[in-house]
Amino acid sequence: MAPKKKEEPKPAAPAAPKPPEPERPKTPEFDPASVTVKHQQPFLFTDFKDAFQLFDRTPTSEMKITYAQCGDLIRALGQNPTNAEIMHVLGKPKAEDMQTKMLDFDQFLPIHQHICKAKDRGTFEDFVEGLRVFDKEGNGTVMGAELRHVLATLGEKMREDEVEQLMQNQEDANGCINYEAFVKHIMAS
Amino acid sequence: MGCGTSVATETQGKRVERAMKAAVLIQRWYRRYMARLEMRRRYTWNIFQSIEYAGEQDQLQLSSFFSFMLDNFTQLNGNGPDLISQLLDPVVDPWLDREICYSLILVPESYSGPRLSFPLSVSDTNALLAAFKEQQTLHARYVLQLLYETKKLLKQMPNIIHLSTSYTKEITICGDLHGRLDDLLLIFYKNGLPSAETPYVFNGDFVDRGKKSVEVVILLFAYLLLYPDNMHLNRGNHEDYIMNLRYGFTKEVMQKYKTHGQEILQLFQDVFSLLPVATVIDGKILIVHGGISDQTNLDFLSSIERHKVSGNKLRLTDGSRPSSSRSHNSVASTSSSSSSSSSSSSLCSPRTPSCISPRPCPSSPSIPYSINVLQVPFLDSLTSVPLPSPPQNEQEWKQIVDVLWSDPKIQEGCSPNTFRGGGCYFGPDVTQRLLLQHGLQLLIRSHECKQEGYELCHGGQVITIFSASNYYEEGSNRGAYIKVGRELVPRFYQYQVSRTTRKLTLTQRYVRAAEGSALRALKEKLFAHRSELMCGFQEYDQNYTGRVSVSEWALVLEAVLRLDLPWRTLRPHLARLTPDGSVEYQSCFEDMGPGIPLPQVTSNLAETLFRYRTDIEIIFNIIDKDHSGLISIEEFRHTWRLFSAHLGVAIDDSAIDDLARSIDFNKDGSIDFTEFLEAFRVVHKLDRQQEG
Repeated sequence: MAPKKKEEPKPAAPAAPKPPEPERPKTPEFDPASVTVKHQQPFLFTDFKDAFQLFDRTPTSEMKITYAQCGDLIRALGQNPTNAEIMHVLGKPKAEDMQTKMLDFDQFLPIHQHICKAKDRGTFEDFVEGLRVFDKEGNGTVMGAELRHVLATLGEKMREDEVEQLMQNQEDANGCINYEAFVKHIMAS
Repeated sequence: MGCGTSVATETQGKRVERAMKAAVLIQRWYRRYMARLEMRRRYTWNIFQSIEYAGEQDQLQLSSFFSFMLDNFTQLNGNGPDLISQLLDPVVDPWLDREICYSLILVPESYSGPRLSFPLSVSDTNALLAAFKEQQTLHARYVLQLLYETKKLLKQMPNIIHLSTSYTKEITICGDLHGRLDDLLLIFYKNGLPSAETPYVFNGDFVDRGKKSVEVVILLFAYLLLYPDNMHLNRGNHEDYIMNLRYGFTKEVMQKYKTHGQEILQLFQDVFSLLPVATVIDGKILIVHGGISDQTNLDFLSSIERHKVSGNKLRLTDGSRPSSSRSHNSVASTSSSSSSSSSSSSLCSPRTPSCISPRPCPSSPSIPYSINVLQVPFLDSLTSVPLPSPPQNEQEWKQIVDVLWSDPKIQEGCSPNTFRGGGCYFGPDVTQRLLLQHGLQLLIRSHECKQEGYELCHGGQVITIFSASNYYEEGSNRGAYIKVGRELVPRFYQYQVSRTTRKLTLTQRYVRAAEGSALRALKEKLFAHRSELMCGFQEYDQNYTGRVSVSEWALVLEAVLRLDLPWRTLRPHLARLTPDGSVEYQSCFEDMGPGIPLPQVTSNLAETLFRYRTDIEIIFNIIDKDHSGLISIEEFRHTWRLFSAHLGVAIDDSAIDDLARSIDFNKDGSIDFTEFLEAFRVVHKLDRQQEG
């Protein structure tokens, strides 16, 4: 089952279908105060605190991270939100705010909790299914070149070096990728 | 395609939509993967650093043991070996010329390495470069001659070297090399060989840890002799006898130079103690290996006779023995610090033999500790007893120790560097004050590994420069060097020695490899402190359920191991959880087992021997004068008894005797201690499983 996505691509024009840009999510503004941070498992917060501290790069160890790091930290803790979801919970900050605005631990918690609650994170099967879309011959492999192109041009575009790092050593001699193995590789971290 | 019907359009649209969704999905997963990789990389780094610094702190134990042995030499009965005189070489003032007859050493015809002729020329240094690239070893005769000449040269140098930039040449400043020949060669390749046009400053820690310390230091000294005005070496904390014993330089020399190793080592120690301790460029940039303290005074530092302060550990360099009035009666009192310093050059105050905890305890702040190299009576600043102003000698040592061992910190102020066991943590205010006081604008130091090879702090007034790339593991960090020209603006050049050219996956490979070895090292630490940890866990588990909460588990680890690590994040690698979310603490130790099970060895003994195996190895190496790998049973027994008395560990005498006898496999009265130590090497069972 394909994961639910907030963005709805516009239908393509008949003459020359172009990959459409995702529409902004129509959900209301994110209000951190509306998130009740659960207290039933208090020790989990200290788990997060360790990780939070690892990402804290302030010169005086103030236990603060930048907006730009928020997504990384949430992902490091095991979630896999889209960039759009991250921007949404951060209150759609401007580009220049990403490096300058900071979050402390208490501000981070409701944000993280909200992301955790989101349904349909995508299972192994979803992931494989997603890749199967590009499996032209239906034989369990995708063309590395096509996948690179897709990742760099569709969706939440990845940079070339990111794509390169992801795809390193995945292609066989013919430039094909066995995507089940690929998915296992990604999910194994 | 493209027939224009609405059905086809819809299918097309759906296909694109599916492709989009798929793309976003992959991208999400990928970003998660990268974030988790980054987190693993960071805590792996933390682990390595904490263990490294904790290891250096262990130096304290070893040197305090030496002091302890000295204190107790009267206790050795007449039958026992005189371990003390064995431990301490007849101390020769490094200033004096040793009887080194290198000219009498014959170099065989078959030797195909470089044959140096003094004074050195460029062809000699080129020959050395070529030879070392080919893995050749320089003949002992030339090593000795090189060291002899270097010593002569260094004697003429002041403690602080003053350099000037000029419009046509920039000065290159490099940090720790730690025996990494590849890094040194890479620097020479990128930046040029040392010459009149390319002057260099190397900021200490040339040796230890890496496998090519001998080659690194030979090259540095050779260039020093060749271009004494354009090649400058600062002393680091690893340019020292005890550090070398522990961290590999001594071993490397003895392995490469079986016949003349001893002599070579002695000359190295002389040369190390004669290395200048600081360099100043244009009166504006100060370069020292470690850092500074709030007591650092460059004028005072210049006036010290550096070779005297940094001489051999346990005696005054003028040959006088520690006075026996320093007896067991004057036990650890706060005023004893000044009395001890007046009687001997270095020892910590005497203490009652068997009840001293080897670790620096916050609860007993009044016991001063000796620092390994320079054996400065170390006063924990927690004591509030006002002390008389310490005598001259002690102040001199403090100046040098501070400069070689200190680390910058973020908070203001100056506190003792208990982690390292020497020097201080100095804050931005200390830096500011010193720079103002001497009209300086920048402090460049090394001593700490940095991921990018360099790091700025204290508002840019302090730069750390580190030149050994891949220090912890392949891919762990870059190396860097600094260039300054007339305008005195530092420029940074980074590099990384890599076995392959696929730089993109270096992080990924590093995390996998390094994480494994970091976690192994960490597990060994846990194993080495098993009984203390179990005690700690049981305090929270009065009902013997075998479980504690994650917080309690983390608290115990932090308290016993004193490593500042993200324990909760690491927990999945170290211990199992029960279904209800608590930690089965016994599972921490499951993965570890002894190397070769010896029936006589109780688990208690095994743990102690494992924890102190490095120290024991060092002591054995000292006792084993001829480096044969064997010591007599008597010596073994005696050393062990003293060591356990010092540790306050109750080890049964008969257990040791049994052990000694069982290890003496050929019953000839001597022990092959390499084999002995093998028994206490720990094996990681999981590794075994993967291999098998």
